[in-house]
Amino acid sequence: MTRVVEVPAQFDDRTFDHFARSYSADGGGRVLFDAHATQWASPFGLVGLLTAGQAIAEAGDERPLLTLPQDRDVAHYWGRTGFLHHAEQYFEIHGKSPRAAARGDSDVLLEITPVREADDVHGVVGHIQDRAATILTHELGLEATATMGFGMALSEACQNIVEHAGTGGWVAVQTYTWRRKLRRRVVIIAVSDAGVGFRRSLEATQAKRFGDRWSDAAALEAALIQGVSRFRDPGRGQGLAGIRRYLNRWAGKLAVRSGTARMAMVPSWDDDVPLADQLPFFPGTQVLMIVPAHAEAT
Amino acid sequence: MTRIDLKDVLSRTVNTVYGDLVTRRTGEAVRFGIEAMLQDADETTVIDFGTVRLMDMSCADEIIGKLLLRQGTGRYFLLVGVHAAHEDALQPVLERHRLAVVAQDRTGALKLLGSLPEEARRAFGVLADSGPALPDEVAARLALPADQARHALETLCEHRVVRETGGHYQALQCA
Repeated sequence: MTRVVEVPAQFDDRTFDHFARSYSADGGGRVLFDAHATQWASPFGLVGLLTAGQAIAEAGDERPLLTLPQDRDVAHYWGRTGFLHHAEQYFEIHGKSPRAAARGDSDVLLEITPVREADDVHGVVGHIQDRAATILTHELGLEATATMGFGMALSEACQNIVEHAGTGGWVAVQTYTWRRKLRRRVVIIAVSDAGVGFRRSLEATQAKRFGDRWSDAAALEAALIQGVSRFRDPGRGQGLAGIRRYLNRWAGKLAVRSGTARMAMVPSWDDDVPLADQLPFFPGTQVLMIVPAHAEAT
Repeated sequence: MTRIDLKDVLSRTVNTVYGDLVTRRTGEAVRFGIEAMLQDADETTVIDFGTVRLMDMSCADEIIGKLLLRQGTGRYFLLVGVHAAHEDALQPVLERHRLAVVAQDRTGALKLLGSLPEEARRAFGVLADSGPALPDEVAARLALPADQARHALETLCEHRVVRETGGHYQALQCA
């Protein structure tokens, strides 16, 4: 018996919970991720889809099926982002795969890239820094100091995988004009892993303190608001705070989803909720960072 | 003064490919490299950030945070070539550990980074602007009672961002 997990037509952070609900629904059997009707997927959606496949593989379950978008342009875009290259290891892919995509697409600042160890973080930061500087200063109209902070935020988000997830994850960085809300150019960083999530990572040191309140949401609160880490070293737990400061300075958005909760730092241009609890379960942790163009740059 | 170029230490202790100070593992390796150099170093060590493009907070914590915690009671450290993005990484680390350090820019201007009381910061400002001074001179400049000015200067000495010699207090800076 096959269980169908529908990939939303517009697959991004806004529709991710719909995807997670379908993913976490009861029912055994082989999973089919049905993306045939998908018209668009953000980096957040694509790294989330890879995470779903990775989680199934790491659980030792049967290799899931994936039907590619029927729209050739969409499928080509999935190829350009590097998604199809990595998806082959987790999914039995059905549908016409586009030929190997040309590299260096101007919108894809960083193709979907695996993050497993510290060397990968160096690779990601080193690869992206020069292009990010150009995009942030020339296209987004941000001050030069935004560039270094961008690298720092990217590095800290990737290190969370290495330090806490207990398994590998994915990062992707892309720039595009966001017509839906801002009508401005944005840079989006999407990071996702299939690891233990904040709750399990912090359980040994924090669960007792929170008592009955201990949950995915409480774990996110401890990490994001209180700067708590599973390590006793007092220098730990500063990475997410640093990301928050950086995004706050540039009117950006940070959203972190882990397990059944999502916490967001919501800028004035967005209408997301600061905390969403009792969401459909999804493995690991997903981080979304959005850096918008300066208002006068677009 | 012993001068340590962070990029050189990165190349020597980690590898020559990396250009950025990111990740805890890298920071720890660089700190070990610095600590090895300190065995033959003078009492004052200048750490040069001038060739470092990017440093994240994890690396800042491992290199500067832990270096000051482990070595800062017996030595003086001065940071040079620190730009605004470096400060963004260093400042929260220093505040978290209640540490302070002096950063000197290319023009020679001194800046106090980290966590110190307001009066101590103001006293440091006097020394940075005017050079060595007696406690009474600092008290007069800040319109503070003499004992408060002396306390502020002693706080700066405890954090090893100021030295006292023959009753004069002097901000740490490159010779």
